[in-house]
Amino acid sequence: MAEYTLSRRALLMLLGAGAAAPALAACGSSVGGGSGSGGEEGGPVKVGLVVPQSGVYAPLGTDMQRGWDLWLQQHGNRIGGREVTTVVADEGENPQTGVPAVQRVLQADQVDLVVGLVNSATALGAAPLMSEAKKILVVANAGAADITGKARTPYVWRTSFQNAQVAAAAGPHLAEQNIPGGVFLIASDYAAGTEVRAGFKAAYEAAGGRIAGEASPPFGTTQDYQPFLAQIRQSGAGAVFCFFAGAEAVRFVQQYAQFGLKDSVPLYGSGFLTEGGVLDAQAEAALGVRTSLFYTDQLDNPANRAFVEAYRAAYDDAVPTCYSVSTFDAAAVLDRALGAATALDGDSVSAALGGVGSIDDSPRGPWTFDGQNPLQTMYLRTVEGTPGQLVNAVTADLGQKAQV
Amino acid sequence: MTGWLAANLLSVLNGLAIGALLFVLAVGLSLVFGMMDVLNLAHGALFLVGAYVAAALVGGGASWGAFLGALGLAAVIGLLAGGGLSAMTEPLRRRSHLDQALLTLGVALIVAEVLQIVFGDDPLAVPAPPGLDGSVSLLGAAYPTYRLALIGVGAVLAVAVHVLVERTTLGALIRATVADREMVAAVGVDNRRVKIAVFAAGSMLATVAGVLGGPIYGASVGLDSTVLILALVVVVIGGLGSVRGALVGALVIGQIESLGRALLPDLASFVLFGALALVLVLRPQGLFGSRAGAAA
Repeated sequence: MAEYTLSRRALLMLLGAGAAAPALAACGSSVGGGSGSGGEEGGPVKVGLVVPQSGVYAPLGTDMQRGWDLWLQQHGNRIGGREVTTVVADEGENPQTGVPAVQRVLQADQVDLVVGLVNSATALGAAPLMSEAKKILVVANAGAADITGKARTPYVWRTSFQNAQVAAAAGPHLAEQNIPGGVFLIASDYAAGTEVRAGFKAAYEAAGGRIAGEASPPFGTTQDYQPFLAQIRQSGAGAVFCFFAGAEAVRFVQQYAQFGLKDSVPLYGSGFLTEGGVLDAQAEAALGVRTSLFYTDQLDNPANRAFVEAYRAAYDDAVPTCYSVSTFDAAAVLDRALGAATALDGDSVSAALGGVGSIDDSPRGPWTFDGQNPLQTMYLRTVEGTPGQLVNAVTADLGQKAQV
Repeated sequence: MTGWLAANLLSVLNGLAIGALLFVLAVGLSLVFGMMDVLNLAHGALFLVGAYVAAALVGGGASWGAFLGALGLAAVIGLLAGGGLSAMTEPLRRRSHLDQALLTLGVALIVAEVLQIVFGDDPLAVPAPPGLDGSVSLLGAAYPTYRLALIGVGAVLAVAVHVLVERTTLGALIRATVADREMVAAVGVDNRRVKIAVFAAGSMLATVAGVLGGPIYGASVGLDSTVLILALVVVVIGGLGSVRGALVGALVIGQIESLGRALLPDLASFVLFGALALVLVLRPQGLFGSRAGAAA
C-alpha cells in the first residue's frame, strides 16, 4: 500500500521532468562556428528567416513567411540588387528554442542578416549574438520596449511595433469619449501584457481618463475568465481595454459575450485581439469589438489594395495580417538599406537603415524609423461583417505615433 | 454589499461548472494511475482529440445532431486509444513509472503534432448546442446556459462512475485488482483485461471531456498540456485511485480557479499551486488518499 505514496512523489517529479523536456530538446542545436565572411558587394545575400513553425505562435510564423516570400517574388528575388538566399529556421515558442535557432542560422548557415522573431524574450536573447557577429537583426513582430529601448544595440531594428505604442494610441481616443465609470484594464500577466497596461494607462490618464480597475489573468494557464469578468461588472466600468492574443483572445472575447458584458460594456483592445485566424474562431462574439493597430487589410490606399490582391492571389485567398506586413516591410527597408550600404556587415547596414527615410509604399501607409522602431499611423478598427467573413474595418485614424 | 455577494455566488456556481468538467477529465487519469498503476501523460492529448473532434463536427454550425455525434465519435476514439495505450504500456508493467511516463509523453507529443498538422495552427471555437448557447439572468448578471447544463452532466457522470466502481461486479473486480493484483490473478481472472477495460473507460472520459469542454475552452495548440497539469493537480489533491477523491479534488480546484481568483485577483497565478502546496504539506496522501495514509 505504501506504493501510493511513492507514486505520488514520482508523479510530481515527472511533472517537473515533463516541463523541462522541451528546454532540453532545444539545447542540442548550438553548433560552433567561425564568424561569417559576408557577401561581396553586389554579390548574393543570405538571409536567415527565423519564425515560429511550431507551437502556439505558428500561425504568425506562416503569415510572416508569406509576407517575406511575397516581397521577394514581386522583386525578382533581389534585395538591394543582391540575389537572396533565404534560410528558414523554426523559432518555436520560447527563447529556449528561438535563441538557438538564431545562433544556428548565424553560425551553421553563415547568414548575413536575420529577419523575424515573434517572441520578445527571444529577440532580447538574440541581441547579444547579433552584436557579437556584427550582423543585423530586423525584428518583424516582437514588441517589447527594451528591444529598441533600454537594451538597444545598433544591430537590432524593428519594422513592427512596440507593445505600449499600440495600446497608448487608443488612450486619448477613449478619454475624449468621457466614458462614465471609466475604463477597466485587463491584460495577460506577462511582460507584453504589463507593457500594454502601462502604455494605455499613461496615455489615457494623461488625456484625463479614469481607470476603473485593473486585472492580470495568469498567462497561458487561464481557460476561464469568469472571475475577472465578475470583477469588471463589479467595477461599474463603462468600457474595457484588454490585451490577449491567440487562443486566449478567442476565449476572452467569447466569454465576454457569453457573460453578457458585450452589450453593456464596449470592449476595446490592442489589435492582436482580433487579428488573423482568431477572428474566425471568435465569430459573432467579436462583432463590434474595437482595437487599435498599425494595419488592417481594409486600409484604403493604393499600396495596400495592390498588396492584398497579390497576397490573396498568391496564398489561396488568405487575407494578410499585420504580421505579414511587418515582414513584407522588413524586406522593403532592407532593400533600401542594402542598396545604399557599401557592405553587408552590421555597421554598414545599420548606418544605411538609419538613412532609409520614409517608406512611402508600405501597405500600412507611410512610416519612418524613429530610433529603431517605426513612427507610424495607428488606426482604430471595428469588427464588422457576418461570421465567416468578419473584417477589421477602419473606424478612425488615431494619428502618427512614436514608440513610448 | 448585495452586489458583492451576488457576484461571488456566481463565482461559486461557476466553480461548480468548471469542477464538473475537471471531474470528467481527471477521474480517468485517477482510475488509470491509482488503480492500474500506469502514469498516462497522454491524458491531456486525449482531451485535445475530443476538443478537435468537436471543433470539426460542430464548428461549422451548432446542432444537437453534430454535438451528440461528436460525443459519440470522441467516445469511440477514446475507447480505441485507451485500448491501444494499455497494450503499449503492458510491456512496461514491471518497469518504473518514468518509463511509462516517457512512453505516454512521446505518444502525447506525436498526437498533438498530428492534430496541429490536420487541423492547422489557428485556435478553433466550438459553439454550444442550440438552446444552450444563450445566457440566463442569474442574480442580476448573465450566465451562460451551457455551463449550467455542464453541472448536471458532471453530476450524472459522477453518480454513474461511482455506482459502476462501488456497486457492480465489474467495479468489485477493479477494486480487487487495485487491492491485490496477484490474488486476483490467482483466482483465475486475467487482470490484463481489467487493465484494458479501465484504460479504455478512462481514456473515453478524457475525450468526452474534450467535447464537453469545447464550448468553454475551444480547441487550440498547447491546450493539452494545460489540462493535463490541471488533471494532475486534481488527482494529487483528491488522492489517487478514488472516484470520491477525484470528485472532491475537481470541485475544490473548480472553486479555487473560480471563487479563489475572484476573491484574490492579485494572487490569481498563485492560488492554484498554493493550494496544491498546502495539501502536500498538510495531507501528502491527498484529501481522500486515506488508504495510503493508513499504510504509511
